[in-house]
Amino acid sequence: MKKHSISLQVNGAVHEITIQPNKTLLDVLRDELNMPETKYGCGTGECGACTVLVDDQKVINSCLTLAATMDGKSITTAAGLQTAEGTLHPVQEAFVENAAVQCGYCTPGMVLKSVGLLKKNPNPSEDEIREWLEGNICRCTGYEKIVTAVQLAGKKIAQADG
Amino acid sequence: MSTRILTEFELLTPNTIPEALSILNEFRDNVIPIAGGTDVLVAMKFGFSTEYAMSISAIPDLDYLSFDPNKGLRIGANATISQILDSKAVKQHYPALWQSAKIFATPQIRNSATLIGNLLRASPAGDCSCAVYALGGSIVLVSQQGEREVDIDDLWISYQNTERRSDELAIELRIPAPEPAGRSAFKRLTRVNEDLAKLNVAVNLVMDGDKCTHARLAMGCVAPTPLRLRATEKLLIGQTLDGSVLKRVMASVKEEINPIDDQRSTAEYRKSVSGVFLRRAIEQACDIS
Repeated sequence: MKKHSISLQVNGAVHEITIQPNKTLLDVLRDELNMPETKYGCGTGECGACTVLVDDQKVINSCLTLAATMDGKSITTAAGLQTAEGTLHPVQEAFVENAAVQCGYCTPGMVLKSVGLLKKNPNPSEDEIREWLEGNICRCTGYEKIVTAVQLAGKKIAQADG
Repeated sequence: MSTRILTEFELLTPNTIPEALSILNEFRDNVIPIAGGTDVLVAMKFGFSTEYAMSISAIPDLDYLSFDPNKGLRIGANATISQILDSKAVKQHYPALWQSAKIFATPQIRNSATLIGNLLRASPAGDCSCAVYALGGSIVLVSQQGEREVDIDDLWISYQNTERRSDELAIELRIPAPEPAGRSAFKRLTRVNEDLAKLNVAVNLVMDGDKCTHARLAMGCVAPTPLRLRATEKLLIGQTLDGSVLKRVMASVKEEINPIDDQRSTAEYRKSVSGVFLRRAIEQACDIS
């Protein structure tokens, strides 16, 4: 297989990498860049554990994305949401305050998915949150606290922007 | 048994349409084009192998969705399902398409998956495919030999087979301008929301007062490809959509479809619910309750 050279910005840092074409973005994040916060769940785009934010705008399944097609893109993982000083993102704070975490495996995907929602819709209703979180599975079934956390995060962001 | 690991292939990433056409012309059946990749990658993880894959995502200016009240809707090959959902024009003028985008997979998949990819996949369960079939339209296919426009009625040949030749690239979907008295709707039946359809239906009607003057009906998961209900359409034309007409329509659907038993449902169930499901879609399109 002919390797591909790409430039990938992850959490603000630019990585020039050479990769096999059959590597997914998830493979590259976890195995090449040693950033294991993005999780492998189903591998087929159904569970959302591998969710990342592209160009600070849209959430995608990194397990269904060929890394070689992401040249020049900017990726945000859950570890890239906090500020340089270590202050958590309002969505992360809300998840912590609400104990919206049980085993934690779905959490990075849930957090990024919620960030993606609040960028589109800063004040979502409970129904809109539940609808948007389709595609992210929590097998501890802790959905109630996650939904409340997203509502709280929306309020936190509104206050901060106040 | 699937390993869910991508097997080896060469990836080609053209930056222009002519480059893409040259690749297709050279490799023909040995290359699979990829736009969003949400279907192709899953297939590859479950054993589908290809020597070459060609990603068209680096080709600029194919991610457009444009609406003109006189010309209709034009959708480029890299336009995603999310773009359909974000379009006010689609929501207003092509409700069936908007409704099919709304329930399509998950937000992550909608951000990657393309409408043209959904059509070219030629799955009988494609939600947007069903809606586009009812709305009518055409696909623009280009090759080094030139360009041709294939009517959506002629696109699907058999399960996962389309009219596209292996040297052609599908670059645009065209949906005609909306009729002022046109009404459309889409409905889907699934076990859980995220699942693929066990049955889907789309209707596109033109009404003159109470009377239906034009009808296109499409149903999915009831044949090897999405199916147009041509015999049932005839029962609507020239009719007022009252109880007796809808009863005949419901009886006709059952005769027209040819579903199978699979992991999502049974042929018997699909036949039983097809009529009432179509009736509800007609009622939804025409705001009859």
